[in-house]
Amino acid sequence: MVIDEGDAERIDWVLSSFLGESGAAEVLLIDRSGQLLAKGGLSGSLDTVSISALAAGAFASTGAMAGLLGEPEFTVLFHQGVKESLHVSTVDDHTIFMAIFDEGTTVGMVRLFAREAGRLIAEILDETRRRPERTRHSIDPLTADEAIPAFMEQPT
Amino acid sequence: MSVINHAAKVINFKVVYYGPGLAGKTANLQHVHRCLPDGNKGNMTSLATGDDRTLFFDFLPVSALTVRGFATKFQLYTVPGQIQYNMTRKLVLRGVDGIVFVADSQWDRLRENVESFRNLEENLREYKYDPGELPVVLQYNKRDMSKVAPLGYLDFLLNRSGKRVPSFEAVAISGTGVFETLNTIARMVLVSEFGQEQGGVS
Repeated sequence: MVIDEGDAERIDWVLSSFLGESGAAEVLLIDRSGQLLAKGGLSGSLDTVSISALAAGAFASTGAMAGLLGEPEFTVLFHQGVKESLHVSTVDDHTIFMAIFDEGTTVGMVRLFAREAGRLIAEILDETRRRPERTRHSIDPLTADEAIPAFMEQPT
Repeated sequence: MSVINHAAKVINFKVVYYGPGLAGKTANLQHVHRCLPDGNKGNMTSLATGDDRTLFFDFLPVSALTVRGFATKFQLYTVPGQIQYNMTRKLVLRGVDGIVFVADSQWDRLRENVESFRNLEENLREYKYDPGELPVVLQYNKRDMSKVAPLGYLDFLLNRSGKRVPSFEAVAISGTGVFETLNTIARMVLVSEFGQEQGGVS
């Protein structure tokens, strides 16, 4: 999947609008394979990479449970904490939308605006996926040097 | 599925360590986590049972070199090896870009290796992957144990498709072979995504 600068800008606008309208503190757009696609919010301290992997796993797991019950999917996953809560909802077959919020708003507000934001993002991502993958055409094949192993072990 | 973000200048790949229970998949990630500098790794997350058997997955994000101005990041996952957790394994495989199959070299574990490899192929087909096209590296682990099968026999059992894949001996618990395996799958995933100029290393 290739997200270009224009897609990123439009997605950021939707995420910012969602944060303003819903009162949520953070929002993450996550591919169902566990990869973070975009994020919004003020906190820089959240481990968004790990939380994306875990959220995708949890959502996939509830999806499998839905299947066992004969449901096509559970479209919303909600975890309530003492101070902060999580609301995860579907965007499309490939993507989920996670909002993190505190007592400054309500799950109803988050759910209401997450639905609208998810619909707008689904339209953007649909266009993104239909477009030819730009990078495959604009990045030339790797040179031998660029394809060299990448990770160096440090002495313990 | 790789995610290429032109705005953030980041390319993300997903690599899954697959194999039978107790073969050393988690030990691979633990060694990588222990030995990479802080700037090149994130937090390692393990969803494990009380006795440290992987229940859902282990997860470790690592970052590598910059290619044409893009930071390349690899998300390393393990799966639970026990037969009964197949639904979970399938969930973790979603969107995978490369596989490390960690085999247990001991004679009495050969059947489990073959069953796990077949299970991998079945699960990949369910996601419409062609197991022959996806980058795969074999790691023959636990070479320090006393009763291990010779490499040729392990190749005969596990590396017998038309296109033979790279394989490495390893003792993951002490780190032997871990980075050779990781570097090779990382290179294969990169080349699979972007191609490589003719005449380079293969």
